[in-house]
Amino acid sequence: MAVPVGSVVFAFVVGGLIVAATGGNPFAAYQGLVCGGFGLACTGGENPALQISNTIVFLTPLITSGVAVALPFRAGLFNIGAEGQLLVGAIASTVIGVKFGGLPGPILLPLALLGGMVAGAVWAGIAGVLKATIGAHEVVTTIMLNYIAQWLLRYLIVGGPLQAPNGFSASAPIAPAARLATILPQDPTLVIFGLPASVFRLHYGLLIALVAAAIFAFLLWRTSLGYEIRAVGQSQRAARYAGVSVRRTIIVTMLIAGAFSGLAGAIQIVGVDHGLLDKYFTDTTGFDAIAVALLGLGSATGIVLASILFGALHAGGSVMQSDAGISGSLVQVLQALILFSIAANFLRMFRLRLPTIGRARPTPADAVRDVRAP
Amino acid sequence: MYSRLKFLGVASVALMLLAACGSSGNTPAAKTYKIGLVTDTGGLNDKSFNHLAYLGLQKAVTDFGIKGDVIESKTQDDYVPNLTNFATKGYDLVVGNGFFMQVSIGTVAGQFPNVKFAIIDGAGTDAKFNDLKLPNVMGLVFKEQEPGALVGVIAAMMEKTGKAPKNTHVISAVGGVSIPPVNHYLAGYKWAAVMEDPSAKVIIGYSNDFNDPAKCKGIAQSQIGKGAEFVFQVAGGCGVGALQAAGQAKVWSFGVDADQKDVDPSVAASALKKVDVAVYTAIKSVVKGSFVSGGNTFSLQNDGVGYQVDNLTLPADVKAEVDSVAAKIKAGTLTPPADIPPPV
Repeated sequence: MAVPVGSVVFAFVVGGLIVAATGGNPFAAYQGLVCGGFGLACTGGENPALQISNTIVFLTPLITSGVAVALPFRAGLFNIGAEGQLLVGAIASTVIGVKFGGLPGPILLPLALLGGMVAGAVWAGIAGVLKATIGAHEVVTTIMLNYIAQWLLRYLIVGGPLQAPNGFSASAPIAPAARLATILPQDPTLVIFGLPASVFRLHYGLLIALVAAAIFAFLLWRTSLGYEIRAVGQSQRAARYAGVSVRRTIIVTMLIAGAFSGLAGAIQIVGVDHGLLDKYFTDTTGFDAIAVALLGLGSATGIVLASILFGALHAGGSVMQSDAGISGSLVQVLQALILFSIAANFLRMFRLRLPTIGRARPTPADAVRDVRAP
Repeated sequence: MYSRLKFLGVASVALMLLAACGSSGNTPAAKTYKIGLVTDTGGLNDKSFNHLAYLGLQKAVTDFGIKGDVIESKTQDDYVPNLTNFATKGYDLVVGNGFFMQVSIGTVAGQFPNVKFAIIDGAGTDAKFNDLKLPNVMGLVFKEQEPGALVGVIAAMMEKTGKAPKNTHVISAVGGVSIPPVNHYLAGYKWAAVMEDPSAKVIIGYSNDFNDPAKCKGIAQSQIGKGAEFVFQVAGGCGVGALQAAGQAKVWSFGVDADQKDVDPSVAASALKKVDVAVYTAIKSVVKGSFVSGGNTFSLQNDGVGYQVDNLTLPADVKAEVDSVAAKIKAGTLTPPADIPPPV
């Protein structure tokens, strides 16, 4: 617990110094952040309920894509490909939502979510199979798969088959039946918390993400597969000695991780964007997810808490700029500082452990042999 | 500087108050208008599109004593929350900067019928980009083909009269994304170049990006490799890379939207799109009570677009031709096309 909390405190102290050094007021800046993120201590007339709703919309995809990084981490795999898996999930769910728009909602919506999960699983599965069969390092393959997913998306909505007829770089919107309901009714005449209810974008994707996080915890700690994943992560040789198929575990882990990330993309489509937009060219959710998984120490509760922090930072940046006049870019500086100090702690951990396990540390060539050994 | 601005603001409010009292005794105290600007993801330091919108806002703050606030959108996910932020806080006018904000403006303006909105390069639309024709949305659009044509004339005249570095008769343009505001520029550029120099070859490429200079640099380098001697960037912050590529290869380039003379020494001229004028006009209409919904077009005729000669001293015959084309467009005897034929 001390490490992530320390990292966040460190980031905020240094961030405050940066604000002060550039002539701003750090207390006003953080007041804006807290107001924008949690709806507390607002001075500029913000609506607290709306701020909380915005934060939740931002944090929802971080939970499932954070799980998609944390789960392979337990198996000793570094999944940098959450973004690509998220993109193919978004693509699949859009295709289903547009092409099968005639189906009734109770069938179409689960189908769109499931389609996103399958697409994400396949995408991550490619990296899993490559790792398990020829030992291709998953960091390299998942990064490459990110690019492929991104350019596939570009092709599909810029001149490709999914582009809407008007010629802009966007797909047609998915059918209304495929959309995930918002928690408050989409009725502009109904006034809730002093605003028309349709302003609140908070949708049921949050519940799906929380259930997904619970499933992740259950899978990891209460199933034999979870035990195998952890065993492989701690020592492939020991796991093999105990009768665990390392190859199978690697592939299955990546498949499940990809499904979580694909779910994040599908939720964004059915819950918020209702179609592919050019914003997905520059989406960074899958990369923020790496920070979320590290900050959350790879546990379900930690990931949810870290997602809340990152969602609040995202939503808070705008208010900080409009109220305190401090550029929202400070939020990115804070995120980078958090990551930096976590990474620094990781280094320390490695150094402490290296003398004991370092000697027997396998080279990459050994790792390949390990995986392929019968 | 800031305190002086503040003083100017106070002074102008006081003047307005005096004026109001003078005209009719029972006018309520002058209200301080609150104007919010939401930038696109390029941010305020893009040296072009968003920077200009901010200049327009600042000028209005000085002239009308309004309160002007800005939020930069970090990602396109931020459009709706940022627009909603200003709308819920009772701002009188919320300005959205950019074509990509159309759907978000349509959504938020529909939810806040009592708040006025203005959008650069578009209208408030539904998810299929159909104009919703909302009574509280003012669209501010430009005839980008006109300034595009003027820099096209410069390039083609230089080639035709033998004053270009190698006279390859090849010129090029790097577009951001294939959307109307970009294609208008490209259409005018290509049309004018071929009109002036029928042997001119115009290479057009898209980066599919407005923010990453590396992408535009690569495209510009490949165009220069094919002989292009003038590179027109129509890609915001990404296009800065195209200007740099031209500078490194010792060929000329054209800046876009703002005067980009200082971005790179290769910038021969800039095609101006006066987003600052448009933003200022929208704010003025709210302050003066003359806000009307629907589209407002900015062109050479109302000085909403133009061109600026930068690091290239134009030969007299080239300059004369540019000004003559500008005059003809203004008079309506020449009409640059608004769109390019799709690539075959």
